[in-house]
Amino acid sequence: MAFNDRIFGILLIVLAVAYGWGASQFPEPFGGSESIGPDTFPTLLAVVLGLSSLYLIVRPDPDNAWPWSRTGIELIVAVIVLVLYAMLLEPLGFIISTTLAVGTLCWRMGAAPLRAYLVGAVAGVVVFLLFSFALDLALPLGLLSFLEVS
Amino acid sequence: METLGFLIDGFGVALAPHNLMFALLGAFLGTLIGALPGLGPANGVAILIPLAFSLGLAPETALIMLTAVYAGAMYGGRISSILLNIPGDEPAMMTCLDGYPMAQQGKAAEALAISAIASFIGSLVATVGLILLAPVLARFALTFGPAEYFALFLLAFATLGGITGKNPVKTVVAACLGLMVATVGIDSTGVQRYTFGTLELYEGIDFIIAIVGLFAISELLFFIEERAGGGKAKMVVNKLKLSWADIRNILPSSLRGGVLGFIAGVLPGAGASLGSFIGYTLEKKAVGKKGYFGEGDPRGVAGPEAGNNGASSGALVPMLTLGVPGSGTTAVLLALLISLNITPGPLMFTQNADIVWGVIAALLIGNFLLLILNIPLVGIFVKLLSVPPMFLLPCVTMIAFVGIYSISNTTFDLYFMVAFGVAGYVLRKLDIPLVPIILGLLLGPEMEKNLSHAMGISDGDWSILWGSGLAIGLWVFAGLGLILPYIVGPILRRRMKVTTAAAAGNPEGD
Repeated sequence: MAFNDRIFGILLIVLAVAYGWGASQFPEPFGGSESIGPDTFPTLLAVVLGLSSLYLIVRPDPDNAWPWSRTGIELIVAVIVLVLYAMLLEPLGFIISTTLAVGTLCWRMGAAPLRAYLVGAVAGVVVFLLFSFALDLALPLGLLSFLEVS
Repeated sequence: METLGFLIDGFGVALAPHNLMFALLGAFLGTLIGALPGLGPANGVAILIPLAFSLGLAPETALIMLTAVYAGAMYGGRISSILLNIPGDEPAMMTCLDGYPMAQQGKAAEALAISAIASFIGSLVATVGLILLAPVLARFALTFGPAEYFALFLLAFATLGGITGKNPVKTVVAACLGLMVATVGIDSTGVQRYTFGTLELYEGIDFIIAIVGLFAISELLFFIEERAGGGKAKMVVNKLKLSWADIRNILPSSLRGGVLGFIAGVLPGAGASLGSFIGYTLEKKAVGKKGYFGEGDPRGVAGPEAGNNGASSGALVPMLTLGVPGSGTTAVLLALLISLNITPGPLMFTQNADIVWGVIAALLIGNFLLLILNIPLVGIFVKLLSVPPMFLLPCVTMIAFVGIYSISNTTFDLYFMVAFGVAGYVLRKLDIPLVPIILGLLLGPEMEKNLSHAMGISDGDWSILWGSGLAIGLWVFAGLGLILPYIVGPILRRRMKVTTAAAAGNPEGD
């Protein structure tokens, strides 16, 4: 079956139309309109994208399977871990958040939990020390800020 | 002989102690990146770019280090080809054919050493080619006007999929997506485009964030999906017994492979994979019945390996002289140039001569360093191969986070990176190539600028875009780049597959 390309093609056409419409809404640049304005290039892109997505809908490639079952859940877990990592990097500090994020990822990829979090902790501490002392770059300490050497 | 003078100046730059040190570090990291599973050259260079920034390296030092990484990654790809029959990167596929049989016959060390020497010769030949060809091409490129540049950019996109590419329309889609992302932000006339009033978007989307997200994060997701977390079996390498006669035996193959690879690298649309493929097939023909290809002939290791390294140096020619990269990794190197505020293109050879020639000299020196690194230290790299991806990839992801965070110290960029990673995963699932997206991000602003300059000259007459013979030629080649994959693509791809499958019995190549 070839649903992927068809659905993707439809989404792309929606994108192309929205993008092209967005381009037509740009205010005229100061000093009147010229032969080429801020909207010319985007309009061109919208047309090209629209045409090629039509082709995708008409002549789609065979599908790659999507990982629906458990693997799909693992993927969602991984993305959530990454988002949480970004969110908690500053409040928790680099070392703790790295331990948690790298540890969880290692664990979900098949490592034994204890070893996984150990690797996370070691990686966090090593990179933190490397950055703060050897490379002179500040990473947030967060909860561990009482350790700060001033 | 002005080239020679520049080259000597270049050596002056490249041999400065700190540059030499970073070249060595880059060569080491590069070999590691090439050897490790799940860390392709483009991916590896991309992750290191933000780190090179936050270290505050001088432009030439950063560029020298990352060029060394690039060269090193091409060396590293062969290690797992030979020992495990799994190519570390795509161009190393052909090395499997004779490298793995050699390893099975207990000649792994010889195969590794021979491939290191062949890589060295291939790169050396191609670097000499680069030194001779690049200034000529740069001088020629000075005659390009904005219309020719616009056509050249189109040519770059059209040929990026390569003639072995699967579906050129998907390359076009990818290029459009990249160019669209590049239009976000305040344009040259001060108009806000697609910012939705978000302050962080006024400056546009930093392509480094997009590149790292697309490559590194999507790779992590792919590994999770394939459940490829487990490690590989430990490999034992025998003691090296290599005689001078063995080396002399592979010299002609390496030279031929290097020249062919260089040509394949310079030409748009060919690339390193095709370079190593041509290197192998031609070697088979040239040696004829006397060879025992597919059963562990050293010349079957040397030919493609020299071809692959020759192509990777050759691919630097269009990147340095025209500002138009021909492969994913050179696109990432272009990203580095742009973010260092160096305008790539023919003017670079006059305005930033010290940097260009420093990099070329560094490529030569890097090759010697790599040869020295690769023969005695191969044991270390082999050991690292057995690090299981389940520990490696999370750590690589962490490095990507640190790198992106250290650019501007905001978490906003990190969310963006994750979003690009998820998008990259979905796009790869749909067989949309990522490299045109990156090229679109990089070339978008330049492309639009050239379009509006051309229009300014012609006062709004679109026909200027195909107004000169040169521009027409570029358009024709761009058209061919999109049409040829439909005609020759299936034949070539089938042939590459048959060769690999027949000899290795393991068609799951890339």
